[in-house]
Amino acid sequence: MNTIIIDGLAFALPLFIIAIGGIFSERSGITNLALEGFLGFGAFFGAVMVMAFTGGSVSGVEVPMFFTALIFAVIGGALFAMLHALLCIPFKANQVISGVVINILSAALTAFFTSQINTLLVGKPTNKFVLSVCQKFTVPGISKIPVLGAFFTDIYYYEPIIIVVALVAAYVLYKSRFGMRLRACGDNPHAVDAAGIDVAKTRFIAVMISGGLSGLGGMCFAYSISASFSPSIYAGYGFLAIAALIFGNWKIGPTLGACLIFGFARAAGYQLAQTLGLPSTFSDVIMILPYVLTLLLLMFFSQNNRAPRALGEIYDKGKR
Amino acid sequence: MKKTSSVNPFKRGFAAVLGNEKSQGITIPVFAILLSLVACAIIILALGKNPLTAFTSLLQGSGVLPKVTYAAKKSMFTDFMSMINEFTPMLFAALAVALALKTGLFNIGVSGQMLVAGFIATITVGYSKLPMAAALPLVLIIGIISGAAVGALIGWLKHRFNINEVVTSIMLNYIFEYLISYFINSYYINAISRQSQAISASASLTLANVALGGLKVDIPLGFILTIPVAFLVLFLLNRTRLGYELKVVGLNRRAAKYAGINVGRSLITSMALSGALAGLAGVTLYMGYYTSIQPRVLTSVGFDSIAVCLLGNMHPIGILFSSLLITVISKGGNYMSSIVGVPEEITEMITGLILLFSACGAFIRYRVSITKEEITEEKLRAKSAAAAEGGEKA
Repeated sequence: MNTIIIDGLAFALPLFIIAIGGIFSERSGITNLALEGFLGFGAFFGAVMVMAFTGGSVSGVEVPMFFTALIFAVIGGALFAMLHALLCIPFKANQVISGVVINILSAALTAFFTSQINTLLVGKPTNKFVLSVCQKFTVPGISKIPVLGAFFTDIYYYEPIIIVVALVAAYVLYKSRFGMRLRACGDNPHAVDAAGIDVAKTRFIAVMISGGLSGLGGMCFAYSISASFSPSIYAGYGFLAIAALIFGNWKIGPTLGACLIFGFARAAGYQLAQTLGLPSTFSDVIMILPYVLTLLLLMFFSQNNRAPRALGEIYDKGKR
Repeated sequence: MKKTSSVNPFKRGFAAVLGNEKSQGITIPVFAILLSLVACAIIILALGKNPLTAFTSLLQGSGVLPKVTYAAKKSMFTDFMSMINEFTPMLFAALAVALALKTGLFNIGVSGQMLVAGFIATITVGYSKLPMAAALPLVLIIGIISGAAVGALIGWLKHRFNINEVVTSIMLNYIFEYLISYFINSYYINAISRQSQAISASASLTLANVALGGLKVDIPLGFILTIPVAFLVLFLLNRTRLGYELKVVGLNRRAAKYAGINVGRSLITSMALSGALAGLAGVTLYMGYYTSIQPRVLTSVGFDSIAVCLLGNMHPIGILFSSLLITVISKGGNYMSSIVGVPEEITEMITGLILLFSACGAFIRYRVSITKEEITEEKLRAKSAAAAEGGEKA
């Protein structure tokens, strides 16, 4: 039970922050299939910066480098997201094709530069930057409570960071003036324009926030699942996050629920396979658990789901 | 008095070439592709290589231009056929995406549908001892039916439970990937290749290593279907009642409902047809291009096809050309990287850049129309100025 909670949270929270990134973009009216590309590029940028500071070996400075990586992953993700914003807003590109293109470009660019940089650093064109595994900590006292204590045991350093960032993001989206304008951009951009606010600028910032948050999530995955940056980061987490945010009806609260279901079901599946002592081939059957569960839940909960009204539409001032 | 033009001649040239609205469907994508090739040339130059050699080697590698030397029993024709072998599934997959998009549905699950179709056809016909004449049509039919069934399921879930088709497709992608991986690993695994057992030669849609005029050629039989199917989709969309209904649903679901179109049925039909095309792509990939299935891997064809479909402007004939272009680049990439000495990832970057610039097609169209307006405005101004001058003289 404890392992399920610990592993489930470690997977669900990065997914959650990526999904929040998606929510920012989609609530402002920009379809975002590019989350996969953003998280990959963000993680790449963070990893490159770590390599640049340490010269290829992180031993001895794991913890400061971890925080450096997180910061630069946010910056890298936000910068890369500008490409999506540029294509979708001033260049009026189809937002779906832009998203797909960003994903292809991100995978190609990061693979290319990883091998080039590795040639410089270690003299071999490998496709991998070796990072460390994120450190964990346990809250003394509270962690002794049965079941609930597991939420405070073996916490990766990034988990509290994500929770704080998520709270700030929720505040910005729902309570701040900017967030209200952002949401209005996604439902009725003409009203926003009539109120004297720049729709293009608001959406541009929203997409950049989306990139930054995805980069953060990507870096956390790189530091927990693989302990390195490699093309295996493009394992479909971005698409999973998209599914989670649609499941959550483009709202932050329900999206957290969706991510937790994914995370816990995934961890429970692994745990089940282990305790039953099943052969390794059988674990594939158990791996489908989170996805089947999601589909079943969606049958009950998606009747009233509704996308932002202006989602995917290019804003045209003259249109009525 | 000296007249100064506010529109520079450069812009005038673009407006003249790209301005014709009837031919914009072709001229703008071509212009975008040219732009992206220039961008790629700059990147290759920056790496210190010759871009012309790089582009030629791309075409050579995919069998469009002759190479300098060939291994025994190989020629430009063998390369070309192997490119066509890869082109076939890509085309079907892109058509699948296009058909769903026309109804306003985004089929991101083409890869999963391909896998299901390929797997079911593999275990039913691929491992049987049927003769070729019976096996091949069966493979196609099974592929189409199983793909269509998955597509219809996605459409039905959307209609009945209002589940967004993107979510369903993504979930089903994972479910199929793991489930089929389990079946392959448990029952059909080849211990050496770590893939499913190869299918019998008589069930393969690609005739492998056929001796033809002293060459050994792979002949993809699925290719025979590609052009007719593309035209069939075109006919369906433009000339039939069903196609019209699908398009109306795609343009405005509410208007379609008021016009008496059964929206739910249209959604399911569209997804089923899209799934059927994805199924065709699946059998031509897994039982033609490959002869086995790798467990736990979802092919990237289904995702690339989204971009290919949009590059072809969602038009079946456009898609014929866009999938050819993308396949030529990806097929020639290997040869290019060995000849020119650039990393193979460059080919993906070229593909990405082509798509990137094509995505800006709407922007190019918009700029051109603005320039055209400026030009007509200037002409009008010149005319009225001339008229005023004439009046003064008189």
